[in-house]
Amino acid sequence: MSGLRLRGVTKSFGSVKVIKGVDLDVADKEFVVFVGPSGCGKSTLLRMIAGLESVTAGELHIGDKLMNDVDPSRRGIAMVFQSYALYPHMTVRENMGFALRFAGVAKPEIQRQVQEAARILELEPLLDRLPRALSGGQRQRVAIGRAIVRHPEVFLFDEPLSNLDAELRVHMRIELARLHKELKTTIIYVTHDQVEAMTLADKIVVLRDGIIEQVGTPLQLYDDPDNLFVAGFIGSPKMNFLKGVIVEGGVRLPGHGDVVVPAREVAAAGTPVTVGLRPEHFAQGGPAMIGVRVELVEHLGGETYAYARHGQSELMTLATNNARDLAAGDTYEARFDPAELLVFGADGKRLR
Amino acid sequence: MAQARLGRSEQINGWLFVMPALVLLGMFMIYPILWSLWMSFQTGRGMNFSFGGIANIVRLTQDPVFQRALTNTFIFLIVQVPIMLVLALLFAAALNDSKLWGRSFFRTAIFLPCVTSLVAYSILFKSMFANDGVINDFLLAVGLIATPIPWLADPFWAKVVVILAITWRWTGYNMIFYLAAMQNIDRSIYEAARIDGVPAWARFWHLTVPMLKPVILFTSVISTIGTLQLFDEVNTITAGGPSDSTLTLSLYIYNLTFKFMPSFGYASTVSYVIVVLVGILSFIQFVVARDRR
Ligand SMILES: Nc1ncnc2c1ncn2[C@@H]1O[C@H](COP(=O)(O)OP(=O)(O)OP(=O)(O)O)[C@@H](O)[C@H]1O
Ligand SMILES: [Mg+2]
Repeated sequence: MSGLRLRGVTKSFGSVKVIKGVDLDVADKEFVVFVGPSGCGKSTLLRMIAGLESVTAGELHIGDKLMNDVDPSRRGIAMVFQSYALYPHMTVRENMGFALRFAGVAKPEIQRQVQEAARILELEPLLDRLPRALSGGQRQRVAIGRAIVRHPEVFLFDEPLSNLDAELRVHMRIELARLHKELKTTIIYVTHDQVEAMTLADKIVVLRDGIIEQVGTPLQLYDDPDNLFVAGFIGSPKMNFLKGVIVEGGVRLPGHGDVVVPAREVAAAGTPVTVGLRPEHFAQGGPAMIGVRVELVEHLGGETYAYARHGQSELMTLATNNARDLAAGDTYEARFDPAELLVFGADGKRLR
Repeated sequence: MAQARLGRSEQINGWLFVMPALVLLGMFMIYPILWSLWMSFQTGRGMNFSFGGIANIVRLTQDPVFQRALTNTFIFLIVQVPIMLVLALLFAAALNDSKLWGRSFFRTAIFLPCVTSLVAYSILFKSMFANDGVINDFLLAVGLIATPIPWLADPFWAKVVVILAITWRWTGYNMIFYLAAMQNIDRSIYEAARIDGVPAWARFWHLTVPMLKPVILFTSVISTIGTLQLFDEVNTITAGGPSDSTLTLSLYIYNLTFKFMPSFGYASTVSYVIVVLVGILSFIQFVVARDRR
């Protein structure tokens, strides 16, 4: 069994603090995804868990062992890199078996392990090829195979799919989900693609600027974000944020014809707030309504998105329940259920 | 049609542009090469020579001095080139570690000999290894030896001095090639190996060395060529002595042409021995390094 426990973990490069105090628990066999914008410290945190970067302060436990100063090879982890990091002069078979030679594993056993990994990853016909004769997706699978043969307790993935084209990405995503079921190990996965995060994770960790913004299941983060950042980061297309003021019995939207949307009074009347409404909340309709003028229509086939605003308001994205005859310039009644509305204070924190 | 005509005038223009360079190359490179090939079949002394067919080649097989020079050259090649390349590789590997303290200082220090003049450094080595030079003084002072080593008077030690000198001069040069190649290797390859528990020596031997194979081939070919042409150092430090124990092919060619009663034809033949050796050795190295897959 091998969960992880991070307590007050920080990392500084010289005087620059990159990870600013992270507390995190990862349960055994959990699929955890780190997401966040570029430069927020996802890779750094992952590399600290791997032992490739030292921990400046705090405690890192893998299983029950304090791992701060343990050599990377003794942490029971395996890592898959964005660049695949395959050994270019070795065949697929040699790539996968290379590390085992130094772990004192006998030759026939190495062969067996490599065969087994090749079977799981459907690499058998490629075993004698060099990496340069493989496609991106195949290289990625070899890199995963190299990790599998070591039977690690924890797999670490750093943006493993970002070099693949969109279609292959979807395919590999499904493969990874299947792999997690089959291998039954803890996986920590870094991405800045929130769709990957939503589809793969048991638990998502949203990072920003070296701090954890929120931890939760994909649906918790989607339905119940703690702050503006998480609300805006999770979900596609992005959530609409409208300026509002708390009034008795609801929120007034000054930019949208002063409509008052009924809501629980989460703050004193007169408090300026930001109101969050997801595009898809407009697809179901409901008692609340904002009148808007459509500026642009996007037909995705299954759904039609309208980009619209009220007067000079911010541009809103609306799912229209596939209103295919909608055109730019139309006026449109954007209807939604006020129960879906999320209210954020001036500091970005959610008001509940 | 128009395009063809345009093509022709472009061709003429093109040739006109490269013509001066081609003429100069022809005059100063191709002509001497062909002339020396012709010369290598001439026998005679000074300006007084005649066609001798394979007489010069026969003379090679009966010339003990030539055989001495050939043997010496091969000893330098077989001993010095591997030592130098292994050293260069180890230095490069050590200096590629970003955590090493003062690595830019060491890089510069190891590369610096390459910018010194061949003759100047050779004179320096000659004086350092003189009987009463600093090397003997130092070894005597620390008590490693009881009597001075006759560095330049003993056939064995003279070879050692030459090997030390060229190693000092050229190791940094080769190291730069290795360093440049190493910096092109994806760092995550090493990180992956480290996580997978591959020990440091195996990362060097099974990852770095194979990935540097093309550069190692390149440096071994140019070092081989350089050693076959070894001249400045031996001429300055030992002048081929004592008793021809450090005589190289190039030095012998020089002696044949400029020191002894000039024997241009025979000297050309010895030059072509070097050409043939370079060809054969380079070919062997390419075959050995060929990708078997
Ligand atoms: N070796 C280093 N020295 C100094 N600063 C570093 C170093 N490595 C990373 N950083 C800085 O730390 C911050 C976090 O980097 P990190 O690579 O963890 O970001 P990331 O979240 O993985 O981003 P991306 O999504 O672009 O991969 C960045 O601002 C980066 O400039
Ligand atoms: Mg990253």
